[in-house]
Amino acid sequence: MPIKVGIPSALLFYDYYPLWITFFEELGADVIVSKNTNKEIVDMGIKNTVDEACLPVKVFHGHVLDLKNKVDLIFIPRITSVSKYEYICPKFCGLPEMIKYSIKDLPEIIDTNIDFRKSKKNLNRTVMEIGGYITKDVKKIKNAFEIAMKEYSRYKDLIKKGFLPIDTLKKDIYSKGDFFRGKAKVLLLGHPYNIYDPHISMDLVQKLRKHNLTVVTCESFCEEAMNEKAATLDKKMFWSFGRKILGTVLSAIKNDEICGIIYLSSFGCGLDSVIGDIAERRIRRDSNKPFTLLTIDEHTGEAGVDTRIEAFVDMIKWRDEHENNLSPHRKFIHSN
Amino acid sequence: MKEIYLGVDVGSVSTNVIVMDSDNNVIDTLYIRTKGKPIEALKMGLGQMKSRLGENVKVLGLGTTGSGRHLAATMLGADIVKNEITAHGVAALNIVPNVNTIIEIGGQDSKIILLRDGIIYDFAMNTVCAAGTGSFLDRQAERLGIPIQEFGSLALKSKSTVRIAGRCAVFAESDMIHKQQLGHNQEDIINGLCEAMARNYLNNLGKGKELKPPVIFQGGVAANIGIKKAFEELLGCEIIVPKYASVMGAIGACILAKEEVKKRGKTKFLGLNIADSSFNVQSFECDSCPNMCEVVKFYRDENLAARWGDKCGKWSNVQISQNDEKLA
Repeated sequence: MPIKVGIPSALLFYDYYPLWITFFEELGADVIVSKNTNKEIVDMGIKNTVDEACLPVKVFHGHVLDLKNKVDLIFIPRITSVSKYEYICPKFCGLPEMIKYSIKDLPEIIDTNIDFRKSKKNLNRTVMEIGGYITKDVKKIKNAFEIAMKEYSRYKDLIKKGFLPIDTLKKDIYSKGDFFRGKAKVLLLGHPYNIYDPHISMDLVQKLRKHNLTVVTCESFCEEAMNEKAATLDKKMFWSFGRKILGTVLSAIKNDEICGIIYLSSFGCGLDSVIGDIAERRIRRDSNKPFTLLTIDEHTGEAGVDTRIEAFVDMIKWRDEHENNLSPHRKFIHSN
Repeated sequence: MKEIYLGVDVGSVSTNVIVMDSDNNVIDTLYIRTKGKPIEALKMGLGQMKSRLGENVKVLGLGTTGSGRHLAATMLGADIVKNEITAHGVAALNIVPNVNTIIEIGGQDSKIILLRDGIIYDFAMNTVCAAGTGSFLDRQAERLGIPIQEFGSLALKSKSTVRIAGRCAVFAESDMIHKQQLGHNQEDIINGLCEAMARNYLNNLGKGKELKPPVIFQGGVAANIGIKKAFEELLGCEIIVPKYASVMGAIGACILAKEEVKKRGKTKFLGLNIADSSFNVQSFECDSCPNMCEVVKFYRDENLAARWGDKCGKWSNVQISQNDEKLA
């Protein structure tokens, strides 16, 4: 019987899932992805996580619990750094330990250290270590990784075209080909695990699309241009998320197609407290694009978020009509 | 027969009903405390308004706003359901067409709305913290045994400054208690609180924004002249408090409803007699999937009128057989 590998569909899952799933499948494992985030998973996560963790980390715990009794191995790598001289959020460095000491009787965890801070030289060793949990056949691992990388670059191409992970995760991504119907684009900023998880984000992407807006994210921007812009910051942004977000912001404020910017942040996020503030300052200083910050946590009442989204969309549309000298409201004022 | 439009704002603390004629003149306003029971407050408000209006009126349209706007729309049948920010902006523009800044402080949230050339240009709402909103003031007034209506005029009597921490409602309260135990005058402490609230508002919501005059101050808290004065001192300009400051959201919803009805030709409002109907809600936790949505069932005169609260649409999308004609 093939070995069962569980992958929690949370945190960096949305960035790397084609790579991870293909890799383990090519090695001959049965890959089991945890269920989409739902209230039960969130509840389990909250109950079993240290108190001061942020919502996405709590949700991750819930996903691990969902997999607990279904698999032989759970993939929870210690992702320290994926780019030179940069870090992911500090919570990721301690994630495997946080899980191990909060949840009892877990299956074996693949907690390989992924650290490319100094260079990518140890990539091969990292891949071998992860693959080693499934097979000792070095050639097979190498081959599986090559195939997985191809799948991953196919995925990245789709994202570049404007699809979001919530679209690519569907069986037939072209089934509802109306993602790009609204010409007005809204840039949605934030950590991928917040914006791409429909439960955590209170379905923000779909809510914006329902208003006929096209949603773009950091991932749909050209990485080279993003890096070039990020390099112009006063100081090197040593968080990968921060570099991406701020690079995107600096590109977006010069882009006329983008008519509004929303930053989705989870309550208590240390990175966002810095990145969000720099982003807001830059947007306000160098452009007149509407900007709003939405903060989410474990609450389920959607009224607060909905009010802000509706008002934001109203504002965008109102501005747009105004620029085309069609403002119904101006006519209305002058008629008085 | 007088032709009128209605605007309804169901907020966390107050439920407001206003009546306007076709020329956007406010005919009547009503401000009722929601007291945690929006359905009853709204029913009472509409009932009172109905008897105040008399028989000889025809309602051409109705708009709802506030955090209970969807509930109100389901109850009454609304032509437009609008968020508070847009509604407040529209109302302010109607009164001061060249308004550039709107300060709005309500029961549970506070907003800043910036306008340029008659369009909303930027806005912000308080985030997770409700410090410096109406309910906090209410609480402090109650603790000090002062009617909330007199809060502002007492602050104006203050002669010396007492600084209160305004960053957090809990800190503000303990600071107030410490100052009171030191023997400071009540007026001075109240004035200190008003200043702290204005300061906190500007730090929190006004951060990095250009607050150009004319500035309008609206929402329930605008009735507090102590806070108005504190804003005037901090901003160094005159603050306009419109006559109907506490019901501006409802006015905005009413204006928008009028525009909507003009476009569509007829209203969705179920009629003033709806105030005599009975309304009932029941909620249950759906156990079909692990989302365990809290579904609300809404009954009008014992008939199921609507369901909401589910993520998948299993309950809310199902057509409900109901007898609308009977109600209208």
